[in-house]
Amino acid sequence: MYSLIWLVPIVPFAGFLLLAFAGRYLPRRAVAIIGPGAVGLSAAVMLLISGQFLAAPPAGYAYEQTLWSWIATGGLEVGFTLYLDPLSVVMGCVITVVGFLIHVYATAYMAEDEGYSKFFAYMNLFVGAMLLLVLGQNLLVLYLGWEGVGLCSYLLIGFWYKKPENGAAAMKAFIVTRIGDVALLIGLFLLVVQFGTLDIPAILAAAPGAWAVGAPAAVAAALLLLGGAVGKSAQLPLQTWLPDAMAGPTPVSALIHAATMVTAGVYLIARLHALFALAPGALLLVGIIGAATLLLAAFSALAQHDLKRILAYSTISQLGYMFLALGVGAWTAALFHFMTHAFFKALLFLGAGAIIHSLRDEQNIFRMGGLRRRLPAVYWTFLAGALALAAAPLITAGFYSKDLILFAAWVSPVGNRWLWGAGLLGAFLTALYTFRMVFLVFHGPERTAPHGRPGPAMTVPLMILALLSLLGGFVETPADLGGVHLFSSFLGHALPGLAAHGSPALEAALQLLSTVAVLGGIALAYQLYLRRREATARWLARPAPDAARRLLLAGWGFDWLYDRLFVRPFVWLATVNKDDSVDAFFRGLARASLLLHGALSRAQTGNLRWYAVGFALGVMALLAIVVFR
Amino acid sequence: MTHAQLTALLPVILLAGTAVALLLVQAITRSHRVTAGVTLAGLAAALVAVTRALPQGATPVTALLTIDRFALLYTGLLALIGIGLTLLSFLYLAGRTRLTGAYYILFTLALAGGAVLASSAHFAAFFLGLEMISVSLFALAAYRRDDPAGIEAGMKYLVLAGVATAVLLFGAALLYARYGTMAFAALGTAIAPGAGDPLTLAGIALVVAGIGFKLTLAPFHLWAPDVYEGAPAPVTGFIATISKAAVFALLLRLFTQVHLREHPALFAIFATLAIASIFAGNLLGLRQMNLKRVLAYSSVANMGYLLIAFLAGGPAGAIAATFYLTAYLPALLGIFTLLTALSGRERDADAIADYAGLAWRRPVLAAAFTVLLLSLAGIPLTGGFIGKFYVALTGVSAALAGSPAFWALVGALVVGSVIGLYYYLRIVLAFFQRTPAGEEPAAITRRVPDAAAIVLTLSTLAVLWLGVLPGNTLTLISLLVEEWFR
Repeated sequence: MYSLIWLVPIVPFAGFLLLAFAGRYLPRRAVAIIGPGAVGLSAAVMLLISGQFLAAPPAGYAYEQTLWSWIATGGLEVGFTLYLDPLSVVMGCVITVVGFLIHVYATAYMAEDEGYSKFFAYMNLFVGAMLLLVLGQNLLVLYLGWEGVGLCSYLLIGFWYKKPENGAAAMKAFIVTRIGDVALLIGLFLLVVQFGTLDIPAILAAAPGAWAVGAPAAVAAALLLLGGAVGKSAQLPLQTWLPDAMAGPTPVSALIHAATMVTAGVYLIARLHALFALAPGALLLVGIIGAATLLLAAFSALAQHDLKRILAYSTISQLGYMFLALGVGAWTAALFHFMTHAFFKALLFLGAGAIIHSLRDEQNIFRMGGLRRRLPAVYWTFLAGALALAAAPLITAGFYSKDLILFAAWVSPVGNRWLWGAGLLGAFLTALYTFRMVFLVFHGPERTAPHGRPGPAMTVPLMILALLSLLGGFVETPADLGGVHLFSSFLGHALPGLAAHGSPALEAALQLLSTVAVLGGIALAYQLYLRRREATARWLARPAPDAARRLLLAGWGFDWLYDRLFVRPFVWLATVNKDDSVDAFFRGLARASLLLHGALSRAQTGNLRWYAVGFALGVMALLAIVVFR
Repeated sequence: MTHAQLTALLPVILLAGTAVALLLVQAITRSHRVTAGVTLAGLAAALVAVTRALPQGATPVTALLTIDRFALLYTGLLALIGIGLTLLSFLYLAGRTRLTGAYYILFTLALAGGAVLASSAHFAAFFLGLEMISVSLFALAAYRRDDPAGIEAGMKYLVLAGVATAVLLFGAALLYARYGTMAFAALGTAIAPGAGDPLTLAGIALVVAGIGFKLTLAPFHLWAPDVYEGAPAPVTGFIATISKAAVFALLLRLFTQVHLREHPALFAIFATLAIASIFAGNLLGLRQMNLKRVLAYSSVANMGYLLIAFLAGGPAGAIAATFYLTAYLPALLGIFTLLTALSGRERDADAIADYAGLAWRRPVLAAAFTVLLLSLAGIPLTGGFIGKFYVALTGVSAALAGSPAFWALVGALVVGSVIGLYYYLRIVLAFFQRTPAGEEPAAITRRVPDAAAIVLTLSTLAVLWLGVLPGNTLTLISLLVEEWFR
């Protein structure tokens, strides 16, 4: 059974090839079967394998399959090897299942698009690459997947390429993440030089022996890997690309920029946790980046008026929670939040897509309203996702995963009160911006009339995801609420557990505080955006709040700052350097070549006498060399 | 003559015998098909004879020839290319002239001359082989008597090759005057390694000048573009491939037996020739609009690269040079096949403009042509790249082993390759020109005959095969060449 693992990434690749080369000759109906079908098949195999993994785990909770030897040089052997352990099982299941639902949804969402088969070709390629990323046994396979998903992200953000701004957004996403990728690549080189291998299990086993805690090489490696993670997961200071990435079709935002690809950074750090354990400074930095990002992005989400941008900032913020969890050593908590976030954020994006679809591409939440009655299926499922995002207590998956992170931040030996405080404030803000969105879109008077209702291809995935968003959290509950530890005990075979445990009383107290924060946020949103909407609008029109709103709307002005710090100096340098000396050298070479060409061509007179003289001169030259040498 | 000697000599005998047989056949029938068929059969038989002779080691046949594995390797290579060129000649002559018999006789004789050159162990054999090639080629170049350019090419080749032969003979005479022998082996023992007196050096220098003429090494290259342009396409192909490969084989053999390559004066001569050829060939090609002339300049440059491997010497140098030629010959054969197949009755399709829009109209032909050109330019995935890589490798190893002068040679190789890339890619660029429908050049609309398609396919595949999986061929070449160095 385990030996079928190669099918999981291969089937989506096969779907990609089929659609890419034969897609334009296939009817739409066939494309709508092949695209989701490939991912569905992959999901089925993944689930079967996972079932066996739970029932009869392989020895050491890890299974390796080497498909072929990829590189075999004197010092370095790299196989094309897949690796199955609890971590990749969790990631693989979420990617394939959520990916499948989003593919099904997209058959309806993209129904009228002219690039139908191209879209599914890219989406299948993405799923294949993402699966390689999480199933790779060594860092080279991981890196192949890493770059593959980056490429697909670029292709799909710029999918509607006829609008120049979409192309610019795609380029921005690619370039900004590339900055992180370069750091990651250097980190991989460092690991190869240090350990002579790219196999992740071998590196994890060798690292504690080779490096002391806090050794400079360990810190350097961890920081370089963190650079890659920060770029891919849109964390400070490389978070600026994700809001613009919303230019892509909404299923893309749901799959790539919410549920899967952006969590690759979280996966990378969790996968290489032993390296970060050797570099406490880098680990602390992970936590600080997470806390700062979650707050900045949550504030920004408060000021957005574009439905998808709210969700984008919310994604950055939730990824910040995952980084926070990683930073305090709560690896399983980060993965748990990854899973629940994949459910509810995919749900929210797909819901948003359904709304935008029926409002004929309206994305401004201030022009929406009262959709509760007109789109009930979307409303109830979106509400479930919103409750999960806001971490409404007891009934949502988001509550259990976020609570685990906050608890870990408090009790972990490497955590501290500041990180916990940032998380708590973030929880309040999350509830506030989430329900600002819910109240503005679904409640109040109707502003734009929807056209038609989404069909079953869109609503069924919404319902499944809504169920997962509500129930998916019961695999891991705190000690005072049942104490189920299925998730962490399963992942405990791959990731070390948290060293410290707090008392149930402390846990209950922390839960109470976060509950207060969440309910306070929802209540405030209700006051500000439903009951006293006019008063809020008047207050926001005043100079000081308006300036703050604009700052937040622009995402704290990072784009402005980077434009002045990097883009403009670079463009200036490039402009100045247009006619640089290096070019002059090559131009000179070309000119000299042409001059010499002209001179030599004179010798080609076509004149036999001259040719004979030329031959004689040549002979004399040779003899001269003999004589004078 | 012993049985072993007969087996060894059989390829040469078969080639010469084919020429005689062709003479006799003319008495019975003048059918073009029969004549070409007999030629092909003779060449194929020679190829089989080569494989039969390979297992036995070096066999001296008279004082003139030594038939060893190296000689057989080159003879086989020449026969293979010869088969391709025979097919091209058949396609070219059909419909252009009714007098076809003499062509094949001369062609086969020239090929036999090449085989003699590759196995000669004596200046007399050297001279014989060289003249067999030269005299046949005068007539072949001027074979189309209705074409003034062909007559001119034949005349130029006749006069200049005569001058070159005279110089070469004079050099051989000087050596004979000094040592009283013309056998390479005897000269090798008589001349102390590295210590040459002016008379010896002058003799060798004159011989080198004669060889340089045949190899179109600058400054003896002036004739090449005119003759390349004027001669019929298959004859140009012969001059570019068979005559050069045979002379280069002789050069390798001569200087492996006569240890003068390392002498400072001769080293300076060869280095000068190499660098001058690389630059002259690549620079002259830059603005050239005639494909045949471009190929002439390209061959000047390529012979310059080959000299680097020759200068590095030793087994590695011989292997690199032989591999280089093995990859170079099919690339040229393929290009001349295209040139022949797409040529019209009135004139050969030898202007670059004749190929404008080839990629749109005939994508497969354009792809094959591009592969062949890229191989000449030495771009990866083609045999030309591997060949150039090994040439550079031997040059760098020689430089690291203590001859810093090789850095200059390798530098010239690198700079020259960059310059040369320009004119190869300019041809490829022409394939992608958009021409209005109905105004395409006539050449790109012509049908490619089956025989030409086969030759083109095989040579393109050979170029790719040598570029992607060179291991087998390299092993084979080193097995055959190393006999010398044991």
